[in-house]
Formats: sequence, structure tokens, C-alpha cells
Amino acid sequence: MTADTERVASGVRGGLQRRVRQGRDFVDETEPAALAAVVVAVGSMGATFVGFLLVSSLTVLPFMVAIAAIGYGWIRHQDVTARVVTLMMTVSTILVLALIIVFIFMESIPVIAYESATVFGVSVPGLRMFIEPRWDAVSEPVRYSMVPMIHGTVMVTVIATAVAAPLGVAAALFLSEIAPPMVREVVKPGVEILAGIPSIVYGFIGFTILSPWASTQFDINGQGTYLFVGIVVGLMALPTVVSVAEDALSSVPESMKSGSLAIGTTDWQTMTSITLPAAFSGVSAAVLLGVGRAIGETMAATVMLRGVPRLTDPLYNVFYGQETLTSIIARNYGDADGLQMDALFVAGVILFVTVLIISIGSQYIEWRMREKFGGEI
Amino acid sequence: MAGATRTELVRQDTSGTDAVAAVAVAISALLFGLSIVALADLVSITGSVAGVPTVSLLGAMLVLLGGAVMAFGVGSRLEAVSTTPDTTAGLVAGVAAGGLWFAVGSGIGNVLVGGLGAAVVGLLVGAVAFAATVIPREDIGSTVPIGALPVLTGLVFLTGTLGPEWVFDLGWEQGASLTAEFVIPVATLFSAMIAGWAAAKAYGGFGARGRHLGAYTLVYLNALSIVAFLFVLVAFTVVKGVPGLLTGAQFGPGAGPSTTLGLFGLELSVRLPFSVPFVMNGVALLNDYQGVLPAIVGTVWLVVGAVLFAVPLGVGAAVFLTEYAERGRFTQAVEVATNGLWSTPSIVFGLFGFAFLVPRFGNGKSLLSGMITLGFMLLPLVLITSREAMLSVPDEYRDASAALGVNKWQTVRSVVLPAALPGVVTGVILGVGRIAGETAPILLTMAGGTFIPGSQTVDVIGGFEFTASPPFVANPELLQATSALPYQLFALITAGVGLGENVANPDEFRWATALVLLMVVLSFYAIGIAARYYFRRKLRYE
Repeated sequence: MTADTERVASGVRGGLQRRVRQGRDFVDETEPAALAAVVVAVGSMGATFVGFLLVSSLTVLPFMVAIAAIGYGWIRHQDVTARVVTLMMTVSTILVLALIIVFIFMESIPVIAYESATVFGVSVPGLRMFIEPRWDAVSEPVRYSMVPMIHGTVMVTVIATAVAAPLGVAAALFLSEIAPPMVREVVKPGVEILAGIPSIVYGFIGFTILSPWASTQFDINGQGTYLFVGIVVGLMALPTVVSVAEDALSSVPESMKSGSLAIGTTDWQTMTSITLPAAFSGVSAAVLLGVGRAIGETMAATVMLRGVPRLTDPLYNVFYGQETLTSIIARNYGDADGLQMDALFVAGVILFVTVLIISIGSQYIEWRMREKFGGEI
Repeated sequence: MAGATRTELVRQDTSGTDAVAAVAVAISALLFGLSIVALADLVSITGSVAGVPTVSLLGAMLVLLGGAVMAFGVGSRLEAVSTTPDTTAGLVAGVAAGGLWFAVGSGIGNVLVGGLGAAVVGLLVGAVAFAATVIPREDIGSTVPIGALPVLTGLVFLTGTLGPEWVFDLGWEQGASLTAEFVIPVATLFSAMIAGWAAAKAYGGFGARGRHLGAYTLVYLNALSIVAFLFVLVAFTVVKGVPGLLTGAQFGPGAGPSTTLGLFGLELSVRLPFSVPFVMNGVALLNDYQGVLPAIVGTVWLVVGAVLFAVPLGVGAAVFLTEYAERGRFTQAVEVATNGLWSTPSIVFGLFGFAFLVPRFGNGKSLLSGMITLGFMLLPLVLITSREAMLSVPDEYRDASAALGVNKWQTVRSVVLPAALPGVVTGVILGVGRIAGETAPILLTMAGGTFIPGSQTVDVIGGFEFTASPPFVANPELLQATSALPYQLFALITAGVGLGENVANPDEFRWATALVLLMVVLSFYAIGIAARYYFRRKLRYE
């Protein structure tokens, strides 16, 4: 244990020393004028960022200094300036993610404190949101439970996955292994265009055509079912599954497939016993990403669901669609303020964290797959 | 084997028995189509097709289909038909048959006993079907249990046990019922699909070749359905949207409003040869025809703003990651962050914009907040596609350039970026197509009222003005709430009945808005896909 810690510590120290050495080399090699320009640019850009965070009207001053410094550096020392500017741009992408995390968490703190529950004499902040199914922002007792919305999101996601996963993987197999080139050239852009149809258009068609139809077919009171929202969301997640799974399938080395075909198997046998098992992790990453899309889908759910945050009865009743984590935000942001607005941010945090975990998980799976095939991809 | 004396070449011919299997495949294709048409209410379940009641027709066809499949299997087992079956149909077929029979069994159990008994009956029936599929030789296993399903369904339809008036109340607290209008087409659909699969396997003579054919049939059907779905979706929107779009439209010389084109001091006044009020007007009390011009202009400015924000950042970061950075912790962190941003739900971007940008830009919803929020969404897309494009530039290019003695940035600027440009441009266009249709992020950051008068169409370029106090430049146009096409459509849906006071025909107005939105977004996609083909072809010929 201690040996491990020491090794890590020495590794970190070594890394730091290397960084410092690199930095010193950079300072030594660069002309003083260029160095000054770059330092001023970075410093004033940092000041701009801080000013923007503090909502200062003077933010524009450091920003203009930064632009001037970059402009000077661009004309006189383009190589160094380009390097530093692109570095700043790279850092900004991480910064965006960090800002999202900080701001949506910060906004949700008050309601988490309000919804504390006591377990075994210990007050756990936010726990009551997950053990009581009551959401009522108007009448006493005011409660902001996430349970109904989590239930809705789970229902929609399960149905959507049941639609998107088999159809998507089959379509990916078709595109990467089966389709003749001519057919492929037609189907592939078709799948891409399917990804491009705005979600509100799906929602609109679902709202005007599908919901009334479902309501007469199943003798339901009112409109809005998890079943059809799930099917529509599944169709929307389909292109994601197809394109990621297709990448995974076509990254299986050709030599493996040829080897199998050479011993006299049919194409289908090669697919089921060589290509699919080899690409299994990539294909499951594709399904995971599709699940992530389905969880985050907002507009179709918002216009097709009923907008009543409560559990369905019985819990597996798919013919009644109440509310999901995404739709409650889109529906209630307008007239929400104070704690209710903060509760919407809690819904956002749950969504963000879930999807981020899914994203990191699928990246890990893809990374494992790349390791497995070594340098062949 | 009965046909051992026949050569492989002869077996490729279509014999009479093969024709039975082929006819079964054709019947199942027909039934598949019929059930979809019935689901869409184009053929009534209560009515009749060509003089025969629909339910009886479906039932008869199902019995015929199941009978043909079973007959082929039994014939093969009795060696009357030459096939090459394996010893077992395999677990996949077993699970498929078992699952379907479980559904049928629990359905029947629910009607007969109800409650827990239903599950018991279902499990029992499913287990029997599974065993009947897995244990016998493949020609029996993959036809008889599966062929029995359409036969049973067909008999249920024919005898009127499940007639057009059938309703089954699920008895839940929140009431819902299964009606014949839904159950009959869906049961037909699944029976036809699974029987078609079995028939295709039989047509291939079972064994490896049969499975190959069966699987290909399903995979082709799936691909065809996806393309057909896309086509129907777009065609439907066009058909419903065109009447609204062309309300009051006039074509012919001198029909349209006049536009002034100015170039180098020369001004030319042109009267457009067409007038389409829906895309040229806003909403006003005195207008003859109402339109969505402010929303279209809003969408255009949104896209322009997002591109101006995200493309330099994304491309710059991609340059750093591919050209300057060494692979390590830092690049890995950036990769995780960009992929995380890519999959972040759009409504979360909206919340973020609401919490971060809105208080910093005039404390109200504004066009600028919307632009930057969408820019945040576009950023990961641009970064990922640009990075891929730059990674695919061969290292020889870079080495050749470096050998000339130029520095790194000159190599990047004059070799890498031009070579990667096609990929970057395509990625940006496709990304723009995606954000142009996003509603959720602008809902919380930008969107104003349902209807915006034509006089309030944003004029960003004309809005710039200089002020004496910091930040010295102001543009009230950027800081006011406006509309965009996707939000407009959302507002029209939620406005519901109240819409009638503003527009003559709310339904046409909605569909026309959906059509314009679809056209705007799909044209981005068309341009992007066409650009990719153009560049790819050019690269191939070089």
C-alpha cells in the first residue's frame, strides 16, 4: 500500500519536474518579445474570464488587451502565438464542461437542503426527493420529489432501447457487412437524415397523429402514453446506435473475416461467430450511447406526455404517460421560480450525471476494444 | 439423404417444393404489408377487402401461411423434400418461438383464468414451444412450432373468437383496454414476420445456407422499413404542410415585393417574381396572410452566431490536440470532456445557459444567450469531426513540409488545414443541421412570445451602436428575446385552441411551420452529404 502511494507520488513528482523542465525550455527558446506578448495574452484572457464570471461591465477591458496582445503576436511571432492560442481554445472546452457542472449543481443546492430527510437520526440532504413520490409546487406540503420523473424516464428509456437496440444493430450489420455498395450509398445518408429530423417535428407528428390514435385504440382517458413516447424516442435514438455500431463492426480486421470465410462458412455464420463477438464491446457502446440519447430526449416527450408528475397505476402501465426528467424542465421553466426552479435544476443534475456516466462507460468500452485489436485499427 | 444422387447444381433450380417455400415467403410479405396498412387505419378491420371481411381474409391467409411452413418442415423430415438440416434449430430460434408462445399462452391464460394463472399457462406453453424447437431435427424444430403460431392466430380470427368488436379491459386503476383494432394487426404482423423467417430458412434448405437466407430476409426487411419510415415521414409532412405554406402565394412577374440590391454604390430594385406570404410576413392584425418570417430570420442568426462562436474554438482545439499536444493525461481529459459534452442532453445546455449566460447578458432571454448556448452544443461536434479530419491527413504531408525548413505553424496552416478542410466543412454543416432544429436549449435562453410581429424581425447588423461607457459596443437587437422555427412550432403546439384568434387556419399554419423547419434542417443535411460525396470523389481521382 505505502509502496504504491510512494510510486504514485514519485510518478507525480517526475511528471511535475518534466513539466517544469519543458516550461523552462519553452521560456529559454522563445524570444523575449514573443514571450511577453503570449504572457500578456494569457493573463488578460484569464482576467476576462474572471470578469465575466463576476458579471463585471469592465470585462471588455482585459478582453481588448488580450485581443491586442494576440494581434501583435500574430503579426510578429506567429508560430508561438498560434500554439498558445490553440492551447487556450483547448482549455476552453474543458472549461465549458466544468462550468456546466458548477452552475447546474450550484443552482440545485437550495432545494436539496429543503428536501432533507432524517434516517436513523441523521439528516441526509436531498434524500426525501427519492423516497416520497409527491411533487406538488402549489399546495401544502410543498414537495419536489423526483421519483415520478425518474419512473417516467426509466419507462421511456426501456421501451426506446427495446426499439432502437435490435433495429439499430441489424441496420448496422446491413450497412457494414451485407449491403451491396449501391444500396449502402442510399441507406446510409437516409439514416443520417433520420438523425437530422428535429425532435420537435417528431413530437408534433406524435402529438397530432399518434397520441389521438393511441387514445382511441386503447380506450385511454386523455392523451399521452409512455409506450408511444418510448417508440418515438427509440426511433430518434436509432441513428446514433446505427452509426456507432457500424464503426465498431467495420473496425473488425478484414483478415479475421476472410479467415472464417476461407473455411467455408456462410456470410451469416461469419457475422454471428466472428464479426459480432469481436465487435461486441463496440456494439454495446453503441447501444449505451443510444440509451444516453433516449434519456436526454426532451421535446417529443414534452409535447406528447400529460405533464402530471405522478406515478402510473400500476407501475408498469405503459398506456399512461405522465412526465419525464427532461419534460418537466421544458414544461415548467416558464412559471417556476425559487425552489421549484431549483428543483428543475436537480432534474438537470440527475440527467447530466447519468448521461456523463454512460458516456464515460462507453468510451472505456471502446478504449478496451481498441486495446484488444492492438495496432490493427 | 433422399436427394444424394442429385448434384449441387440441380439443387439450385426452383423445384415444386421450393416454390411452396417461396409462396410462403410471398404470403408473409403480403400479410406484413396488410397489417401495417390496417394499423394506419387505411384498411378497416370492421370492413372488407374485395368482398371478404378483413378479419376472415387475414385469418385465411395466416392459416395458409402456417400450413405451408409446417407442411414443408414435415415434408423435409419425411425426406420428401431434399434439404440439408442441422441436428437442432438452435437456441436463437428456440428463444424466439418460446417467447412468442409465452406471449400467446399468457394472453389465453389471462382470458381463461387471469392473475398469476396467466403467467403459469404462459410459461408452460412457452417451455413446450422452446423444447419443440430445440429438441427435434432442424427441419421440424424451425417450422412446426413457428408455423403453428399463424395457424392458431388465423383460426382465432376465422372462428370469430377474436372478432372486430373484441375488447379486453386490462382492469387497471388507470383504465386501458386492448381492442381488436390494435390486437388483430399486431398479431398478424408478428405471425407473418416469424413465419416469413421460417419460410425463408426452408427456402434455403435449412442448415447454414437456410439460416443465412432467413437472417438476410429479416435484416433486409429492417433496412427497408427504416428507409420507408423516413420517406413516409418526410412525404407526410410535405403533403400536410404545402397547403399552409402556399396560402395566398402568387407566382408570375411582378407578383412579389420589391427588393433592393446594392453593390458598390449601384442600386438595383428588383421585383421578385413570386410572393409567398407564409415566409415573407410576420404576424399582424392587418395582414391578409400571416407568416413566420421573424422565426426564420431568428433561426438564421442563431446558426450564424453559433458557428462564429464554435467553429474557431473547435478547429483551434483540434489543431492543438493533433499537431502540438503529446498524447497523455491532458489529451485524454479533453477527449473525455468533448465526448461528455457531445452526449449531454440538450435541455441541460438550456439550464446551463439559463443559469450562466442569461444573468450576464442583460438579465433576460436574449438572442445572444441562445447563440452561445447553441455554440456550446456545436463545439464538441466541430472538435470531434475536425480532429478526425486532421488525423486522416497522412504524416508524409507533414514530413515533406517540415523538410522544407518551415516551422510547425506554417505546416499546419498551409498543409494540414487545407487537406483537412473537406472533413471540417462537412462536419460543421452536419452539426449545424443538428443544432438548427434544437428547441430545448433556446427554450430557456432565447425564446419570446408565440407570435412575433413582422416589424420586430431582428436586424443584427443594423443594431450595432457605440456607447461611451464600457463595454463601449452595444447591440439591443442581440439582447432581446426573439423566436426561431423550432420554438415557434413548440409554441404553436402548446398554444392549442387559443391560436384561432391570430391565424385563420391553425392546423395548416402548424403543419406549414413544421414543413419550413424540416426544409431548413434537411437542406443543411443535403448540402453536407453532397459536399462529402464531392470531396470524396475528388480525393479518389487524385
